[in-house]
Amino acid sequence: MLKKLFITLFVPLFFITGFSATASEEVNVYSYRQPFLVEPLFNKFTEQTDIKVNVVFAKKGMAERLAREGKYSPADILLTTDISRLIELREKDLLQSVNSPILNNAIPKQYQAKDNTWFALTTRVRNIYSAKRLGKIDLNYEDLADEKYKGRVCTRSGKHPYNVALVASMVSEHGEAYTLDWLKKVKHNLARKPQGNDRGQVQAIHQQLCDISLGNSYYFGKMLSDEKQKVWADEVYINFPNQQNRGAHINISGVAMAKFSPNAKNAQALMEFLVSKPAQKLYAETNMEYPVREGVAASKLVASWGTYKADTLPLEEIAKNRKVALKLLDQAKFDL
Amino acid sequence: MIALYNSKTWKLSSYIIALVLVVPVLVMLVGGVSTSTELFTHLWQTVLPTYLENTILLAFWVVLLSLLFGVLSAVIITQTNIIFKRQLRWLLLLPLAMPAYLVAYLYTDLFDYAGPVQRYLRAWFGWQSPNDYWFFDIRTLAGASVMLALVLFPYIYMLTRGAFEQQDQNLIRASRLLGLTAKQSFFKVALPLARPAIAVAASLVLMETLADFATVQYFSVNTLTTAIYDTWLGYGDLGAANALASILMLLVLFVVLAEQRSRAGLRHQSARPNLQRELIKLSISEQVIASFFCWSLVILGFLLPIILLIVMAIQYSDVAQLSVLLSTGINSLKVSFFAATIAVVIALFLGFYQRLHNDKYRDMPQRVSGFGYAVPGTVLAMAMLSTLGPLDHWLNATAEFLGFTAPGLILSGSLFAIVFALVVRFSAIANGTIISGIKQIPQSLDYAPAALGANLKVTIAKVHLPILKPVLLMAWLLVFVEAMKELPAVLLLRPFNFETLSSQIYQLISDERLEQGALGAILIVLFGLLPIILLNKSKDKS
Amino acid sequence: MSALLTIQGLSVELQDKKILSELELTLNEGDILGLVGASGCGKTTLLNAIAGFSKPNKGTITIDGHLLNGKVINGNMLSDNKYFVPAEQRQVGMIFQDYALFPHLTVKENIAFGLGKLKKSEQLKQINHLLTIFKLNEYSESYIHQLSGGQQQRVAIARALAPKPKLLLLDEPFSNIDARLRNELMVEIRLLLKQFKMTAIFVTHNKDEVFTFADKMAVMSEGKLLQFDSPSIICQQPNSYQVADFLQLGSWLPCTVNETTGSSLLGDFQIENSNSVSSGLVHLLIKPSQLMLNVMVDESSIANAQVEYISVTEQGYHYYLSSLEDVIMPRMGFDTTGTAVLNESMRFSKLSLYSDIALSLKQQVRLSIKPHHFLFFNKPN
Repeated sequence: MLKKLFITLFVPLFFITGFSATASEEVNVYSYRQPFLVEPLFNKFTEQTDIKVNVVFAKKGMAERLAREGKYSPADILLTTDISRLIELREKDLLQSVNSPILNNAIPKQYQAKDNTWFALTTRVRNIYSAKRLGKIDLNYEDLADEKYKGRVCTRSGKHPYNVALVASMVSEHGEAYTLDWLKKVKHNLARKPQGNDRGQVQAIHQQLCDISLGNSYYFGKMLSDEKQKVWADEVYINFPNQQNRGAHINISGVAMAKFSPNAKNAQALMEFLVSKPAQKLYAETNMEYPVREGVAASKLVASWGTYKADTLPLEEIAKNRKVALKLLDQAKFDL
Repeated sequence: MIALYNSKTWKLSSYIIALVLVVPVLVMLVGGVSTSTELFTHLWQTVLPTYLENTILLAFWVVLLSLLFGVLSAVIITQTNIIFKRQLRWLLLLPLAMPAYLVAYLYTDLFDYAGPVQRYLRAWFGWQSPNDYWFFDIRTLAGASVMLALVLFPYIYMLTRGAFEQQDQNLIRASRLLGLTAKQSFFKVALPLARPAIAVAASLVLMETLADFATVQYFSVNTLTTAIYDTWLGYGDLGAANALASILMLLVLFVVLAEQRSRAGLRHQSARPNLQRELIKLSISEQVIASFFCWSLVILGFLLPIILLIVMAIQYSDVAQLSVLLSTGINSLKVSFFAATIAVVIALFLGFYQRLHNDKYRDMPQRVSGFGYAVPGTVLAMAMLSTLGPLDHWLNATAEFLGFTAPGLILSGSLFAIVFALVVRFSAIANGTIISGIKQIPQSLDYAPAALGANLKVTIAKVHLPILKPVLLMAWLLVFVEAMKELPAVLLLRPFNFETLSSQIYQLISDERLEQGALGAILIVLFGLLPIILLNKSKDKS
Repeated sequence: MSALLTIQGLSVELQDKKILSELELTLNEGDILGLVGASGCGKTTLLNAIAGFSKPNKGTITIDGHLLNGKVINGNMLSDNKYFVPAEQRQVGMIFQDYALFPHLTVKENIAFGLGKLKKSEQLKQINHLLTIFKLNEYSESYIHQLSGGQQQRVAIARALAPKPKLLLLDEPFSNIDARLRNELMVEIRLLLKQFKMTAIFVTHNKDEVFTFADKMAVMSEGKLLQFDSPSIICQQPNSYQVADFLQLGSWLPCTVNETTGSSLLGDFQIENSNSVSSGLVHLLIKPSQLMLNVMVDESSIANAQVEYISVTEQGYHYYLSSLEDVIMPRMGFDTTGTAVLNESMRFSKLSLYSDIALSLKQQVRLSIKPHHFLFFNKPN
């Protein structure tokens, strides 16, 4: 009787929800990375292994979604565009550790979790772009607070994960008090309220609204290959900060396995594929990032920007300070 | 009134339906109030006061500007002999079809440093860099206020115009015979009498402003709404987000209560008002000024944006976009279709319950169910998530208990959440339209068929529903269009890889790539025009 | 008594239609004029013209010596727009049919509305005075929607009288009032107006009100005044077919007449006393009391009418009688052109008669005309 009631009440729901059961060999990916970036990789994977890859793309809110879905979540693999999100997922106990010698060996130690819950796939630098008209400069992130840059600095929202990671690294290096002061001074130096995205800041430099901006490395390559944006990129130098001390701040795009993954075996296979040489090469060429696997070269264009010293602070350390970074940003009212 | 029907099941179902529509908001409120996170204290000590201040300032300026635009244009149209009055009369309604975030993007494009206006100015005056001249920055609180006022003032215009047009002119004549000039009569009689209508419209504008998310986000103006979004997705703290949403709800409640009180001022009006009025004759210079004012509103609020969109569409559209347009369009249609149909069915159910029963609180279910309109989309999304998530888990657990395989997240992870949210939000529209339609049906028609031997179902099906057809259509259409345009709730609730027209357009805007979706944007505007045209037609008929 | 209101040659056109044509009217101070006429005859337009809500095309309106729509310079009348006195300066008060009371103001504020130009103390005195006279003291702080119809009317009148206008216009003031209260109210208000020595014009489509309420009566038709006099004179001596017909002063019997005799389908009769009349086909205004009923019909007393309608009133049975289909005139008369007048135009259809004798529908009887002061009228085409 209860069964009958259940069916009559909830079957209609299934029509609205478009729910349907699935059964073949497959793996479900929740990705922060945009589809056009990852689809070529997945197609190759399916060619090789006959495992179908279902991708759902989310610009925001993946962790919250996973948390809500709980043990009924269909997610196997999670792809992120920065370290903070991976740590967040782990903090919410949404990941499981993957025991894979392949993964452990392919990836440098500082770019994977000690407990095997997350793995980097590519690295990117948070550069400082500077107007060519300033001439060549050698900057540290700390210099952004310098009086001489008053009214000449542009950046996207302080609360964007890329910036949050940078602030967290500042906290790891200098402590809370210094970082709060640094934030206030940088805010003071801003030419305009934080707005837009990383490329938008370079556009602002081109328009002479400011001279210095923060931005990830691969955007430079992207701008150079876009007709409209090449004009902006041509007017800036891409600088690797802190070369005289600890090195430039690194972030990663990474992968992790969901705690309740229904297709764990397939998931692991996909993860191992993503660190394979061919896959890493694809990453390097398509998105102009630095492949994480040693021995796989960056694309020619990216290599032309020069070698650099990277901050070797373990990412886990940086990620630990994420929440603190957010609080400091609020205290400095950075975005307001 | 004799109760025609006294069905306990009908009564129970009505209350349950109303409750279901209200529960998510209650859950959110409870969640927000019981949250005692240090995060909230932290927010309160740092950025929350600024969020609040921005929210209140924004609301203040938008209402002020909308009143200025709306009341003034209504006065010009109803009291004077302005040239092209017939056309202006309905043209002034058009900005309603424009989503505010669309206008915001288009004008930013226009007035930005790299935009045509400044480029032209620089070329003309030979300026080289931004330091050579001053130009206003549109991406500010002031800019956002103007954008919102431009697309929201038609609410005030429409209701004020209606109030003036329905006024008994004998009141003005009486005032004049008592010694007041026409102008004095306007200020001492016509305007005060229109005040309740103006107040209702202003509270509508206020609610829409508090609900706005996309415009303020695009302009980097940090209000409570953006804070809710960020807190949930940035801090990942649902409790704190709920707390913020509750504060927003309080503000909205305040507005709603204020509006109810002013509604009490709608006093009785003559059954046969004298509508023949003496128009103020404008001099040539007055005609010029008045026309300039009205036409500026029309151009800035609708014509210019739509032209910019069309130009964009012509320049940038390609075949690839059409397929994207098709799929997002279908998604929008699907979701809106379900929402509209369900809302109308519920409204009918509750409306007839109210009509045919006699218990004291019979209009409660309908009133309560309409409360969702005041709830901003973002807040509603929060409420949905807080309610449907646990519900889903319970469902799954129950299913397993009964021996089925767990169906997964059919409520919170699917269209159900969006459709539910849209129904909650827009039930008020369906209710209002259908209730007033039912009121028009003479009481005798309730009883007559019974005398001929027909039972209630037949009566409703064969007598009432056919009479209600135009009203049903109107209600359905209104909910359908509002659902098409809704953004914040959709953004937060949609399943992955599910874009509607509105979310797609918004995505493109935040990537500064609207050109790719100009066609879709035009489509949204066209849909928005539909109810305006229909409303206009029906008003002229009545 | 001086003339308060003088209207000369007033013509008003609305949307290319002539509503008022060359209307003439003079009203003395303190008189209450009842204006009656069929719908569309122009009563409201006349009120609007006097109040200043429509501009006349021709003619003048003068109140208390002030020309309201023109100026006399060097003996010439100039009706320029700039000489048009606007409504707010005319010192004319008006009671609208729905009262047009201000819903957003209290009773007190409504009454005070026209007193803005007075000092505060003066205003208060006036308001209290009016509240007392109109027995509205306990409602002074109420809003209009809280009052009954009768109370609202009192407020309307008090408000109009407060600024002491020279002329008061009332547009169908009693049409919203319950029939039972109507008479009481009319007497009460007339008393008040007389107390204030108000000159007033009131418009109604119910001629009976004029007798109770007004001193003078004017019958309007198609934009012109047909007759203007005291109500009793009009009723005794209507000056035209239209007036008599509109006021329903009797029923109509077509006749052909010459100096001394008249012929009708009721037979011939001698004319000794009558109003002056042309020969030929005319209509006789005949009242029920001037008809004699003979129920017994035979060869010597031929039936000439039949009962078409019966009702019962306090005056006995009330009948309408029409001429018989097949009656043949014993002698046909001739009209002024010498053409023989046919039976058809001599038929009558609604002769009104009261009697204690019970008749049945279609019963044929013989009616005859008692000698009296005959009133003959030419019916307009």
